[in-house]
Amino acid sequence: MAKADENGAALYSVPDAALDLAADRWRAYQWRLLPEVPRRPAANMALDEILTERVGRGERPPTLRIWGWSAPCVVLGRFQSVRNEVNEEEARSLGIAIVRRISGGGAMFVQPAGAITYSIYAPEALVTGMSFAASYAFFDAWVVAALNQLGVAASYVPLNDITSPGGKIGGAAQARRHGAVLHHTTMAYDMDVPLMLRVLRIGHEKLSDKGMRSAEKRVGPLRQQTGLSRATVIERLVSFFASSYGLQPDELSGDEEAAIERRVSERFGTKEWLYVLP
Amino acid sequence: MHGEYKTPGGKLVVVDFEVADESLRGVMVSGDFFLHPEEALADLTAALEGLPTDRTEAEIAERVRTALPRHAELLGTSPEAIGAAVRRALASGETADGQG
Repeated sequence: MAKADENGAALYSVPDAALDLAADRWRAYQWRLLPEVPRRPAANMALDEILTERVGRGERPPTLRIWGWSAPCVVLGRFQSVRNEVNEEEARSLGIAIVRRISGGGAMFVQPAGAITYSIYAPEALVTGMSFAASYAFFDAWVVAALNQLGVAASYVPLNDITSPGGKIGGAAQARRHGAVLHHTTMAYDMDVPLMLRVLRIGHEKLSDKGMRSAEKRVGPLRQQTGLSRATVIERLVSFFASSYGLQPDELSGDEEAAIERRVSERFGTKEWLYVLP
Repeated sequence: MHGEYKTPGGKLVVVDFEVADESLRGVMVSGDFFLHPEEALADLTAALEGLPTDRTEAEIAERVRTALPRHAELLGTSPEAIGAAVRRALASGETADGQG
C-alpha cells in the first residue's frame, strides 16, 4: 500500500512491495484525466478506440478516462453473440440500447447512475515483459488498493475480476491497438439485478463453476459496501490515482471530439458491427 | 446446433452451427473469452468450418490449435474447451435458438 489516507488504514492486503514496483512503472508517464461527461453508449465505445489509437501514435499522453452515460445500455464483449447474451425484444421495450465494445470479456448491463467505468489508455511499454494475464493484475492493482482505502475488502481474482466477500464488484477487459493498451474496468455502484436479469441471458453453463444459486448473489455493489455517493467513490478513486502516480486534468481536443461522430457512424453505431456475431 | 463450455475458473465459449453432409457449416464461435489479436477469431471459426461431425474432442482441439496464428493468445478458454463445446452441440442436437 503506497499511502493510507486520513480516513482509514489500509485494512486489506495488496502487498506493499508489489504496489511500489508497479508505482515506478506508472510514474514514468505524465498521466492525464478526462473527467466524466455523459455520452451515448456508442460514443463511449468509439472514444475507447479513438483514444487508444491516439495514445499508441503518440498524439495524446497516457490517459485515465472516467465514463459518463446518457442512457442505459447493454455493452457486449467483442466476441459475444447478441442472441446468446441479450433478450433483444425486452431490451428494446425497455429502451435499453445494445452496443459492442472492442475488448473481449462479458456483457455489462449499465444504468447511468449504477455503474462506475473508467478506461486507461497507455503505451504498451507500461506493461513490457508482462503476459496478458499479468497485465490485468497490474492494471487493476491500484483500484483494488483504492477500494481497500474506502474500507471495501476488494481483491483481484484472475483473470479480470474485482471481487469482495460481499460479492463481485466489477470486471476489466483489454484491447491493444497501434502499440497502446486499452484497459477498462466497470464496477457496479447500484445494481438493479431483477432488471438486469430481464435483459441479459445468464445461462446455467455460465454459472456452472460458481457454486452459487443465483446471479443475484454474485453482485456486491459499491453503494451497499461504502454508503458513499457515486460521485464521492469516483472522486476517491481518482484521488488515489493522482496521489500515487500523478494526474493532470484534461479535456478532449476539438479534433478528438469530432472524431467520435465519424467513428460512431462508420462503426460503433452500425448493425454490421453490432451483429458481427449475431 | 448449439453447444457451450465454461472452463472452470475461466470463460464461456459457445459454438453455433448447422450440419450438412456430416460436416459443420455456418460456424459461429462466441463467448466472453479474450483473444489477441481480435482478428484471430476468423481463424478459430475457419478451423471448424467443414469439420466432419465424427471428430473427437482432442482432434477438434488439435485442429483449432493448428489454425491459431503463432502469436495469438487465447485467454479464459482453450482449443480443448472449443472441442468440448462442439461435441456437446453434436450430442445434444439442440437448435441454435434453443438456449440462452
